[in-house]
Amino acid sequence: MHAKLNQDKTDWSPFPYLQEADVISVQRGPEAGGAAGGWRALRETMRGMKTTFARLVEGPVTLQYPEEKTAVYPRFRGRHKLHRFTDTGLEKCVGCSLCAAACPADCIRVVARENDPDDRVSAGERYAEVYEINLARCIFCGYCEIACPFDAITMGHDYEMADYNRADLIFTKEMLLAEPIERAPLKREGE
Amino acid sequence: MVEPIRELVTITVDGREITAPEGQMLHDAAKSGDVEIPVFCYEPKLGEPVGACRMCLVEIEGIPKLQTSCSTPIRDGMVVHTKTDQVKEAQNAVVEFLLVNHPLDCPVCDKGGECPLQDISMGWGPGKSRFTDVKRHFQKPIELSPLIALDRERCILCYRCVRFSQEVAEDEQLQLLERGDRTFVGTFDDRPYDDPYHGNVIELCPVGALTTYTYRFRARPWDIEDAGSVCTLCSSQCNVKFSIRDEEVLRVLARDNEDVDDGWLCDKGRFGFQSFGSEDRITQPMLRGGDGELSPISWDDALSRVTKALKSSGEKTAVLAGGGTSNEEGWLLGRVLREGLAGNAIDSGAHPADAGAVRGLSNPALTARMRDIDHAGAVLVLGADPRNEMPICDLRIRKGVRRNGVRLAVATDSPTALDRRAHAVGRYLPGAAAGFISQLAGEIRSEGSSSGPDAEAVAALATELRGAEDVVVVWGEELWSEPRAISALMDLATVLGIEGTETSGLIEIPTEANGRGLREVGCLPGASAGLAEAPAGPGVSEFCEKLRDGSLETILLADSDPVRTHPDGEGWKQALGNAFVIAISSFETPSASLANLVIPAENFSEKEGTITHPEGRLQRVRRNVPPPDGLLPTWNFLAAVATELGVDCGFSDQPGLFTAMTSSNGLYQGITEEDLAGQGVRWQDREGAAGRVPAGGATPQMAAPTSAPGSAGAPDSIRLGTRRDLWAAEVAERSPALEFLVPMQSLEISIPDAERLGLKQGQAVEVSAGDGASVEAKVAIREAMIPGAAFLICGARDGNGNLLTGAVPGSRTIRIEVATPVGQTENT
Ligand code: SF4
Ligand code: SF4
Ligand code: SF4
Ligand code: SF4
Ligand code: FES
Repeated sequence: MHAKLNQDKTDWSPFPYLQEADVISVQRGPEAGGAAGGWRALRETMRGMKTTFARLVEGPVTLQYPEEKTAVYPRFRGRHKLHRFTDTGLEKCVGCSLCAAACPADCIRVVARENDPDDRVSAGERYAEVYEINLARCIFCGYCEIACPFDAITMGHDYEMADYNRADLIFTKEMLLAEPIERAPLKREGE
Repeated sequence: MVEPIRELVTITVDGREITAPEGQMLHDAAKSGDVEIPVFCYEPKLGEPVGACRMCLVEIEGIPKLQTSCSTPIRDGMVVHTKTDQVKEAQNAVVEFLLVNHPLDCPVCDKGGECPLQDISMGWGPGKSRFTDVKRHFQKPIELSPLIALDRERCILCYRCVRFSQEVAEDEQLQLLERGDRTFVGTFDDRPYDDPYHGNVIELCPVGALTTYTYRFRARPWDIEDAGSVCTLCSSQCNVKFSIRDEEVLRVLARDNEDVDDGWLCDKGRFGFQSFGSEDRITQPMLRGGDGELSPISWDDALSRVTKALKSSGEKTAVLAGGGTSNEEGWLLGRVLREGLAGNAIDSGAHPADAGAVRGLSNPALTARMRDIDHAGAVLVLGADPRNEMPICDLRIRKGVRRNGVRLAVATDSPTALDRRAHAVGRYLPGAAAGFISQLAGEIRSEGSSSGPDAEAVAALATELRGAEDVVVVWGEELWSEPRAISALMDLATVLGIEGTETSGLIEIPTEANGRGLREVGCLPGASAGLAEAPAGPGVSEFCEKLRDGSLETILLADSDPVRTHPDGEGWKQALGNAFVIAISSFETPSASLANLVIPAENFSEKEGTITHPEGRLQRVRRNVPPPDGLLPTWNFLAAVATELGVDCGFSDQPGLFTAMTSSNGLYQGITEEDLAGQGVRWQDREGAAGRVPAGGATPQMAAPTSAPGSAGAPDSIRLGTRRDLWAAEVAERSPALEFLVPMQSLEISIPDAERLGLKQGQAVEVSAGDGASVEAKVAIREAMIPGAAFLICGARDGNGNLLTGAVPGSRTIRIEVATPVGQTENT
């Protein structure tokens, strides 16, 4: 290291710590305490207060949750939804388990089954007999949505999922398919 | 004929020097040097490569065009490139072409996630297709058989399944039909594919064209865990791999072990897992109450009742082990009886084996390895139908005959599946094996010495065997029912010079899956663990009599079902009805339904222990799923019983038990659990094996070829024999997928006899023998039958042939009465 630093030096010495280039001088402010210190504290406090008072005139921004709810962005990743085809009413999910494979939290469980041609559940050969997401474990990464080859699962906007019981956080296929109560308002353009 | 040894040569693949035996296929040689070449159709298990898919193209210096590495044998100094632009282009093109007609419905395809086509398309494909036309369409899955669904759209025409059917199982049913892009896999006339090995094509198919109904859509590879064990449903003891999801076995796959199963499974082993979760399974100890019904009791209660029963009968106790009873369990059973009760009535198997003869036959120089069959000069199948008794052995013999020019001689009482491939076939009457074998030995010794009706057949067999370089004799346990047959067999072995060579020998097909192991751990009268000398005792056929006359009072059946599987089923019924019966069993089998106490048994996905293959290979059965609630491991229960009876066990866990078992056994001494890892170990292959077998005991007497084997009793009488059927088994009846295969009883009879008696094919008859017992059967007239004998399936659910046999098989003649008048017969 030192050899490099001293390359342009003509009087190269075998004792690099004596070289001038190694001397670092540190700039320090005035010592704390005393009048200078007091002044500095006051100045910083005033600077903070300026911000505070400036916000004051903007009025309160507190949301009266749960009466009022935070609006979310359209791409917000909230609780999942499973979808049906609008025309046939069949489930889009074919139980392929790709979402389960993609899920980094390992919280999706799919057990597939063969469709009965006379009583179809999904459009393909197979359907998900069991489809469960353990929302207590989900990290809302949205990988499942990306993995799904049929857009059968999407992330909704609902973020109100607290419950008293962990077991209640396991959402079954019926719960995920049900038309969710849209509680979370969307942010408006430009908001 | 020993497996040829090939010279090592050096080739260069992608700049790496690889040394491999000359003539090895380039793909395999590259693989041994860690160079991966994608393949679809190549599968060494199937024999010669066909080069159907062109996925494996590589560039070889000096050859202008690309070559298929799966079918190019290597030569010294070959320089190969697998990653050049030319090769890449070819690979891309092959994948693109394959996908032209492929539906790419991976999300609904059962193969998704473990599909070579997916993997190769990702790894070696162009990434996108230029194909915009309409793809070829077929009706989505059709039933190839009741167990296999065929989706012809997905088939890439690799020929693997067809080659399996044509060249491995040799059932010749699968074909590629039509031509060009309309080609599809199918059977003649759309008949269901019917073959006891056909499940293997599911594993062979590199795409999702062939899938099984039992696993369809149950799980993805990332949902399951793989777990290895050994199938204990028959003596082939195939190595298996379970796919387990949520602690439930969903599928059974082959776990390649070239020494044992060659990578194949039979359908019983592949689909029999369904019986594990059967609703009828007994999962708690059961006591038969006064009303004759079984009701559950606690394990403590069961233990005290079993101990009490055993104590009270003391040395008048018999133990009969069978099925998948492990070596450890068998050893504990022996100790319970011999040390705890001072008894000596212990046996395994269905036919009475003699301790002295077993010792003689256990001579390592006399035992063949399974792989010796591959390159034997000749194979003699004696008194067994491998297809029905040890299915994988049948495949092994076929492989030897087809690929390595093994000469095959078959000498049995009833026709076998191998007859068609045999170079010589001999038939003897049931119960006349001894005479036939000694005649054969005599004929080999001096040509032209045999006489009588069989002379021609014997001469033909002798011609195949005489002078053959290495002979492997595959013989059935049934021969033990004729004591003289065993000494004749020993004589035959001497004539064939088996003891002198490494690669020849005998292999016995036991009736019970762990037949060999059970004998070697002491479930044999007159021999304790390691075949050591022990006080003589009655054998299995005497149990029956002694239980009836009261000189034995209690019998402990370990996974054994004598009423069903042993000769003289009727006699066993009475015997068990007369005695106090403790049955260790998974189901209420015909024998367990006569038991006073039933102790639930584990199956081979739940059991921890070892079993011994007929070639002497110790293999490990592993616990992969927990047994149903609270089911105590059988060894645990037996150890508790032993302790109660004052036997010092000195181990508290399974590994301890294993060590205790092996260290007390002269044959197994020194084998550790590590030695068994993966492939198992033959005790004969360990050091000092020759000295491990205790010396003799009684030497069986030589049989003189006296009675001409062709002579039946009275002229025109028909002797009754039994034959085994793969599907006449408890496991088939308890597995929903296999139930359709459970056979109806049929009476196999020769053409002349059928003509004489005026019997028609498929006619319903009533067969009776001995003291009036009778079974109903359909007539099956077969060409390869010996006149003067007729065969019933033993162990059949309806009309078990064993009910008629009497204690000595082949000793009875039958009466046949027509149940439906001629004219109303159906053709089967
Ligand atoms: S959002 Fe992420 S963590 Fe949640 S279920 Fe989907 S893949 Fe799993
Ligand atoms: S939600 Fe989509 S990815 Fe998940 S199982 Fe269903 S179809 Fe497959
Ligand atoms: S069905 Fe499967 S194994 Fe048979 S030819 Fe087609 S792709 Fe190959
Ligand atoms: S051949 Fe025997 S051991 Fe092998 S899978 Fe079939 S039943 Fe099991
Ligand atoms: S693997 Fe070589 S042609 Fe198919």
